[in-house]
Amino acid sequence: MTPPSPMTNVQDLIRLVREPIEPLALIAHVRAPGDGAVATFDGCVRNNSRGRATLYLEYEGYEAMALAKMREIAAEMHSRLAIDRVAIVHRLGKLEIGETSVFIAVSAPHRGPAFEACRLAIDTLKKTVPIWKKEFFADGAVWADGEMPPTPPATPPPPPESHS
Amino acid sequence: MQIRVLFFGRLKEIVGRAEDSVDVAEGARIEDLFTRYRQLHPELAPYRPSLVASRNQEFAPWSAPLASGDEVAFLPPVSGG
Repeated sequence: MTPPSPMTNVQDLIRLVREPIEPLALIAHVRAPGDGAVATFDGCVRNNSRGRATLYLEYEGYEAMALAKMREIAAEMHSRLAIDRVAIVHRLGKLEIGETSVFIAVSAPHRGPAFEACRLAIDTLKKTVPIWKKEFFADGAVWADGEMPPTPPATPPPPPESHS
Repeated sequence: MQIRVLFFGRLKEIVGRAEDSVDVAEGARIEDLFTRYRQLHPELAPYRPSLVASRNQEFAPWSAPLASGDEVAFLPPVSGG
């Protein structure tokens, strides 16, 4: 029987940065001797949005909460998948076309969980991490359409009936 | 009760500030706090259905009661990544 996966790995690296992200450093960070795979996701700034040419983007975040939610994502990855180390780094501020806005690297003994964890991380990040993107065009700027994070129920469930 | 309120994205642009500190009555809920800002800035009203609230950096229902020293934010749909 295998022991339950740890909810965190002290080697996990969860950051918000304002300078360019260095993917190779993150890949090196998660790669350890017991790993057979590193999967990565590189989210980069596209030069168009719904048919309009994008000039650049600006990202802003609720930084303390964003970091907390990114740590929750890492914990979820560890609890569900047989992975080793996680790096999730999101950049804030002004980003030019082609620059990396988010980079995720996951190491694991085997490739399946590494791929799956990477996908889980970016899909969850896009739904739950309070970061916002403003798109700048030649003729103006708009806040990008986003996703509404799931919220707790409005009223707590009733307490269980007492039979004592 | 003193509450710290944070605004992001388009809400920050409407309200004209990133954060505020307000005094609310005992028993006030997050929804009451939003109503107060909506009265000051009617342009906020149409955004209400697409907002999510947070209390002390955790998503919270609009009915959540406030406590002194809480940090509340009104979060537009997130678009990171």
